[in-house]
Amino acid sequence: MKDIIQIKNISFNYPEQEKLFNNFSMNIQEGKWTAIIGQNGSGKSTLARLIDGLIVLKSGQIIVDGLTVNDTNIFEIRNKIGMVFQNPEDQFVGATVEDDVAFGLENRQVPREQMHQIVEQSLRQVGMWDFRDRIPANLSGGQKQRVAIAGIIALSPKIIILDEATSMLDPRGRQDILKLVNQIKRENNLTVISITHDIDEAAGADQVIVVNQGQVVEADQPDHIFGDIEKLTSIGLSAPFTSELLSALKKRGIDSHSQYLNDERLITWIKQLISKK
Amino acid sequence: MDQTINFKEVTHTYQPDTPFAQNALNQVSLTIASGSFTAIIGHTGSGKSTLVQHINALLKPTMGEIEVSGRTITPATTNKNLKQLRKHVGMVFQFPEKQLFEETVIKDVMFGPKNYGASDQEARADAKQAMALVGLDEDLQEKSPFDLSGGQMRRVAIAGVLAMKPEILILDEPTAGLDPRGHKEIMDLAEDLHEHQGMTIILVTHQMDDVVDYASDVIVMDQGKIVKHGRPQEIFADPQWVYQMHLDLPSSAEFASRLITAGVPLKSVPLTIDKLADAIVEVVQGGHGHE
Repeated sequence: MKDIIQIKNISFNYPEQEKLFNNFSMNIQEGKWTAIIGQNGSGKSTLARLIDGLIVLKSGQIIVDGLTVNDTNIFEIRNKIGMVFQNPEDQFVGATVEDDVAFGLENRQVPREQMHQIVEQSLRQVGMWDFRDRIPANLSGGQKQRVAIAGIIALSPKIIILDEATSMLDPRGRQDILKLVNQIKRENNLTVISITHDIDEAAGADQVIVVNQGQVVEADQPDHIFGDIEKLTSIGLSAPFTSELLSALKKRGIDSHSQYLNDERLITWIKQLISKK
Repeated sequence: MDQTINFKEVTHTYQPDTPFAQNALNQVSLTIASGSFTAIIGHTGSGKSTLVQHINALLKPTMGEIEVSGRTITPATTNKNLKQLRKHVGMVFQFPEKQLFEETVIKDVMFGPKNYGASDQEARADAKQAMALVGLDEDLQEKSPFDLSGGQMRRVAIAGVLAMKPEILILDEPTAGLDPRGHKEIMDLAEDLHEHQGMTIILVTHQMDDVVDYASDVIVMDQGKIVKHGRPQEIFADPQWVYQMHLDLPSSAEFASRLITAGVPLKSVPLTIDKLADAIVEVVQGGHGHE
């Protein structure tokens, strides 16, 4: 499996603040959904900005799809990465939904005919074509994120970074956006990096990287990470619902002898318990 | 003091007398008891925020009247008469940290009491007390609020409301955007204010687990009307109805209904993990299941 992003021994701190990253390394695999979790202030969002070259490293190296992040490569790298931020209002520029999605294409001097086609296709893919004449500010939170995502896929990136992109949405809006990104990831063959503290979202990822105080605490499949409720709580996170339920059952004398089960496997196991009776 | 909240046939119309006129509240009548912890739920646009903004008269009714702690708000009420009411009803908006503006934490928290006529000394004392209530260290007093973490900034903003010593506290999605630890801290703070300071808490939320864990009463809104008002157990007893309202079940109830669909004969829809675990144990040990 190819590593599409390699982070090698980086160090970084904001002016007059303590070191956020000290000799920090990790890799992101191509074509996977990687969740980066950690509490507020753990350095998750800074990491996303370093990868995109929005802020500059003090030392170490970040390689994105074979290119080192530096002044020479920065624009090529940004073409490969689409970022969805927590508050989409921070990144709206167009007067209408359609204009907003076209903005990135105009910047890249895409011919007009082609631009119209791409905008329509992108808005259709996120289910917002019917809203093309609306003012972005008047949309709901979930609709705004859809428009932001359309603006990103219009530029055909290889990587999408969600920076707490669903944290302002209600639970239903959150599920809808995750479903949408999943579908787009599949259709466009993308790598997704999701920076989040929604544990139940991270439980659905291919790989989870736990960051605390600028260090990788763990990098593994969700199964191996989410069994340890105490450890998760100690770094300000919570455990997925299924881990909590397993632990409550264990206290009552029913032990699955496994650390973590996802929803389906937990239901299957409970059904087996009953049929044994 | 009687601090019951009473809505009588309250209608609120946005942009009245225009083609865009829209009833956000439609003849709402309700009573919120003094000392309760009431959650207000409903999908986006159902009228939750409009409803709570009537309680401290940020919005006035287009028709009907509201009584809050013996004061009456009608369509004719003027702003002049509302100062005492607003001191009495604290309102924490979504992302309240966006409203911080002073140079230091203590000045920001003192702003409310001073605005209501307190002397510098009184305001400082109230501010210190409020900071202690929300668990902000005294060392932070002279810091800029903008150098604090997101969770701390939110607590500064809440302290600013508490410094006015309200008896009713309205929290509009107070945990949005916080990590799990920050989330729990804010909810535990609300519980503490309710239990130990005797405040009436009104919580607008999308988090059904918080409704179950903290609220004694629940109001469900849909299309500007109140469609149910009861204890959490009553509200979530009928999963089909909850889905019809475009709401979610609490995690345990959600998982329980999936178990039931998968053929596990649970006898009830438990609302907490412990009750769900009990119900599963009962089925497993009770010898139900396949013959």
